[in-house]
Amino acid sequence: MIFDNIMMATSELMTVSTMLLMVVGVVAGLIAGAIPGFTIAMAVVLVLPFTFGMTAVQGLATMIGVYVGGLSGGLMSGILTGIPGTPSSVATTFDGFPMARKGRPGLALGIGVWSSFFGGVISAVVLVLVAPQLARIGQEFQPWDYFALMAFALTVTASLAGDNMVKGLIAGLIGLLVATVGEDAVVGVPRFNFGSDAVQQGFAFLPVLIGLFAFTRLLSDVQDKKKAQENLGAHSAESVRIEHLKAAKEVLSRWGNLIRSSLIGVFTGVLPAAGSSISNILAYDQAKKYSKEPEKFGTGTIDGIVAPESANNATAGGALIMMMALGIPGDIVTAVMLGALLIHDVVPSPTFIAEQPTIAYAIFIAFFLANFIMLAMQSLTLRGFVAVTRVRMYMLASVILFYCALGVFALNNVQFDMWTLFWFGVGGFILRSLGFPIVPIILGVVLGNIAENALAQVIAISTDPTMFLTRPWSLFFIILGLFSSFFHVYQKNRAIKQWTLCFIPAMCLFLSIPVFMMEGIFRPVLGVGLGLFGLYLIVQRARSGWKLPNAEPVMEVGDL
Amino acid sequence: MNRFNRDTIIAVILLLLVGFFAYTSFGIKTPVFERLAPGQMGPGFWPRIILAGLAIMGLIYLFQSVVSPPPPGEKRGGLIGWYRHYKNPIWCFAVFAAFLTIIPVLGMLIAGLIFVFSLMTMLGPKDGLAVKRHVLTTFGTVGGMWFIFACLLEVQLPKGQLTGAFDEWLLVNVCGIVSSIGGLFADAGPSCSALMTSV
Repeated sequence: MIFDNIMMATSELMTVSTMLLMVVGVVAGLIAGAIPGFTIAMAVVLVLPFTFGMTAVQGLATMIGVYVGGLSGGLMSGILTGIPGTPSSVATTFDGFPMARKGRPGLALGIGVWSSFFGGVISAVVLVLVAPQLARIGQEFQPWDYFALMAFALTVTASLAGDNMVKGLIAGLIGLLVATVGEDAVVGVPRFNFGSDAVQQGFAFLPVLIGLFAFTRLLSDVQDKKKAQENLGAHSAESVRIEHLKAAKEVLSRWGNLIRSSLIGVFTGVLPAAGSSISNILAYDQAKKYSKEPEKFGTGTIDGIVAPESANNATAGGALIMMMALGIPGDIVTAVMLGALLIHDVVPSPTFIAEQPTIAYAIFIAFFLANFIMLAMQSLTLRGFVAVTRVRMYMLASVILFYCALGVFALNNVQFDMWTLFWFGVGGFILRSLGFPIVPIILGVVLGNIAENALAQVIAISTDPTMFLTRPWSLFFIILGLFSSFFHVYQKNRAIKQWTLCFIPAMCLFLSIPVFMMEGIFRPVLGVGLGLFGLYLIVQRARSGWKLPNAEPVMEVGDL
Repeated sequence: MNRFNRDTIIAVILLLLVGFFAYTSFGIKTPVFERLAPGQMGPGFWPRIILAGLAIMGLIYLFQSVVSPPPPGEKRGGLIGWYRHYKNPIWCFAVFAAFLTIIPVLGMLIAGLIFVFSLMTMLGPKDGLAVKRHVLTTFGTVGGMWFIFACLLEVQLPKGQLTGAFDEWLLVNVCGIVSSIGGLFADAGPSCSALMTSV
């Protein structure tokens, strides 16, 4: 069965046109990733209109190419100019740039490229192994569990707004409200259309997404007139040659760091909305902690490049796990991919892998292949990167704004969609200027209708709200959502306030209840283990007199 | 307690908007001929849940804004200071809105050329060399994108009331050449044809 699926997916993927599209996607991603201020998500969003005319497999393969290329493209500007091309490569500059300045730019780039490659391949393996298993668990989900999962995804996204958690939650709820505009899915009654026939159909996902994300981002980039007129970067890389062989050997000799960082990347990707901008810093931090020579970090050490670059590429695998197994986007890029699936009438859900095996396995294979294509194309795009950095932001923004309008129109051939783009651009810019994060709004828009349908099913089956607390998976997500909401507060006060000593043990104890309630033998045993671990932590801390450890200042995820 | 700051005003506006939408949500009625089955969720139920959540969050936000110090970035430069700070985005929005307004009159291609050139010249330097560069970039990029969408992807881009004949002429002559080249590729073999189609 699996073999048949792989063969079907391979035959659909291994055509000249799809391979060519993937190569174009990877190159576009590499170039976009190299442009400081041009995020990977924006690159994927801008590629979306081109995929309308393609099959679902071709479209997704192209977007995966852009995604993988973008994650790797950021390292070029980060290492050569010290300005990270994307937030995913912030930590790469800490050691990559010093190494380049010491006269080894070729080695620094090589280590970055090979770490990205191995990180991507490791996460592809984890994706192939974990996603079908997780999807099997996902098939146990009833509407209560699915609704709780979506509430959890939105809560986590909002909590990543750090100190502005309330603003994050408001943003998420605004996204959900936007998704309610138009005819409701159950009886087809128009909602909040205020008499407009155009609004009665609801807002198309793409104009809303591009308006909120790309439009808002571009206008923020040109807000400062002086910066808008400057070159994006100015550095010569014509003479740099990537030292592939030496770099590959160096990366493989640090396999412990490589695997640890890749797994950090995968895990961060699995968390809704926690993307590569976080994983690269977390991996760098861990690599420094585990290093025998932590004092060398920041001076051009190899481990300092291996960790962030393997982690940021591995994040893609983690995000895809969530998207494919549970239908929940792991980050903004997978949110766009979910939108692309919806355009092709494929509804993402826990049954996605079982119901759409060709598309699912094509995604697995495309992700795997994209890493190889990235490796091959990285050297070739160095010159393209140099050319791109000569462009000025105001020129880029002007052209892309026109392209946004064109792309949005191409979706349905409706001019109203361009006005939707405009109004959501205005709204997104105002909200962003007022400190509201944009990602929860987008997630709210993506998940809105799915959450409403799940709730409709819940109510159709039973009006008893206690079902949310008596079903193990639903309770699990509710508890996880509550604890993750306060995780930022915990992180901020760790080693400062005594209550933080109870946070992790309490989380283990509370989570052990739904895990214990689950069916089978393994999961109840796991629940008992989790509970015992929580008790052990409490006893240990009580014995030490609830003394606060002298911990180092922690990295604040919300500030990233 | 703190003076009213920007966040307080936003929180109040948010709560007013929530109130307005909540009021509107009671106008969402299921038609008589489409009676809900027992246990079926009404169309206004989900929006009201969201609005209830927004109201609670709005109240917390309002409370926070009153008791905590104003945001550090908050400047008081008056209307002129605000305009100076947001001058570029405001003009971008204005030019974009103008672009959307003139599309039905001038068509996507010409309106796009005017839009990109105006925006570049407004945001960038205005000396002779820069303007020449803007003209070249505008024609290259807008023309290129029009070509990809209109000829290769065969999207029916909006034609203008005034420039409809010109748009039609371009489609026939430019895209016609492309399709005849595509036809040559199709004759050459199915793989080339698939390549051309996907590109």
